[in-house]
Amino acid sequence: MTTFDQILPSIHEVLIVQKEHLHKLGPIIINRDLNGRVRLVLEEKLRDQSETAKLTAAIARAMSDALGPHGFPVDRMVLFESSFEMVKQGALNFQLEGFDDVTVIDRMATETDWSNITPIATETPRIVFFSIKGGVGRSTASSVAAWSLAQAGKRVMVLDLDLESPGISSSLLPDEKRPVYGITDWLVEDLVDNGAAVFNDMVASSDLSRDGEIYVVPAHGRDPGEYIAKLGRVWMPKINEQGLRQPWSSRLNRLLFDLEKSWKPDVILVDSRAGIDEVASACITDLGAKGVLLFSIDGEQTWSGYSILFRHWHRTGVVHEIRERLQLVGAMIPEVGATEYFGELCERSWTTFAEELYDEIPAGELSDAYFNFDQNDETAPHFPWTIRWNRGFSALQSIHSRFQHLDEDELTAIFGPFLRGVHDIVGFGAEHL
Amino acid sequence: MATDFLDAHRRHWNDAELLFRETRWANADHLFGLAAECGLKRLMIAFGMSVDPVTGTPQIRNDKVHANRVWARYESYRSGHNAGVNYTLPAVEPFQDWDISQRYAHSDDFTKVIAESHRNGAKSVHSLINKAILEGIIL
Repeated sequence: MTTFDQILPSIHEVLIVQKEHLHKLGPIIINRDLNGRVRLVLEEKLRDQSETAKLTAAIARAMSDALGPHGFPVDRMVLFESSFEMVKQGALNFQLEGFDDVTVIDRMATETDWSNITPIATETPRIVFFSIKGGVGRSTASSVAAWSLAQAGKRVMVLDLDLESPGISSSLLPDEKRPVYGITDWLVEDLVDNGAAVFNDMVASSDLSRDGEIYVVPAHGRDPGEYIAKLGRVWMPKINEQGLRQPWSSRLNRLLFDLEKSWKPDVILVDSRAGIDEVASACITDLGAKGVLLFSIDGEQTWSGYSILFRHWHRTGVVHEIRERLQLVGAMIPEVGATEYFGELCERSWTTFAEELYDEIPAGELSDAYFNFDQNDETAPHFPWTIRWNRGFSALQSIHSRFQHLDEDELTAIFGPFLRGVHDIVGFGAEHL
Repeated sequence: MATDFLDAHRRHWNDAELLFRETRWANADHLFGLAAECGLKRLMIAFGMSVDPVTGTPQIRNDKVHANRVWARYESYRSGHNAGVNYTLPAVEPFQDWDISQRYAHSDDFTKVIAESHRNGAKSVHSLINKAILEGIIL
């Protein structure tokens, strides 16, 4: 019986048989619906065309047979549509490998699809902190990065987008300084055009920085209120009276631009959710991040997770838009056996990047023209920026008090390579670290 | 005969278009109203409206309405259903001035302008039906 992963290979097999005749049908759409059932969509003008009827019927029959539960009965296998633009609207689409004129339209129940890569925001640089697994010190590292950039005199804004497991704000703000509202409140109010009611009370300034500023935008306010009921509405797209639709990630982007305008930060740090998740997708692909930091510990779960993501970017043809923004961070490097651990981490990282993201260099050509790196190239995106494991920083709750007695040398010893990288992304120079 | 809102929507829409092209405003107008009603009722089923398992007609009395009243009923099913987010209709109801009893009216009372406004209404329903088929919400 055909299962989901065999859909595209099966279609490929069906179409390859008819490859030399396919041009007669013009552009073809393979429509994979919300339930994972597939139909063939052809141009309206072919509906009553006798010359192509036989070919269409043959493909419909073969596809229906090959796809089984993921297809439709042969008499309902083909749809004719007058506007392909309408069919493509709002759904992920990519070319079927090996066929120039066959587009796969993939409809998903989630709002984001990991493939809609927004160009890098031109105003304030945005850095996204992401990890496949939770508990690898990602939020702590974003707090430390915020502190370090602020120490260098910068105005730093930190957004807690780990909405399902919020926390970063408590490391940067004492309880009494927490703002009344958070990102969740704004996203819910925005649906009823009431964002202004919370906008001015969702940012708090941290007392930790001496020379710069740290503005914290938490997931929720001092009192989370009906947090679950709000969280369940965060993902709603907004549809205005003219019927124009704004997905939730665009609403989030709008919030970021408004925050930028009001608070004028030099850099925005976004603590994203761990895992292949809806919020994480929005953070990594939709916010126009300049840098996407992939926090990793060496382990099967990490690499298989990143492979899934990288392969998706490859298949959907957006690799070139995203790969230069990625940077691996080696989190929690153990005290004992650090060198061996790092060697292993670097090798696995290189393998994962090389398989899906790096260009293959054709024989006899120079590597300079290609996006390709040696395993030990320290400037490569796969080459881990390291953070050493440290007992004092392993619990996020204690970080606020920890920051108040911080020894900068100790910080550099633990976070040095990572912090240098972050300062580098925003172009602030890291000579002092 | 059993109810088949999807098929009924299609035939009313196709025939209305045929008549509209032939400038037969009165009956085109009548069929645009029926097309909108049937299309929206099919979508209402997708968004949770219960129907009689034998006849296929709506079980709640309030849902047994024609084009001029179906707009609001549709909206209440759509707004309460997860999948309904992407299925909004224009806020202005185009069938306020349409009535099933107009089938007894004189042809001269129907103009191109009247038929055209109802055609636009039925067209927006027709687009939603096509979209629902592509998304697999209705099969």
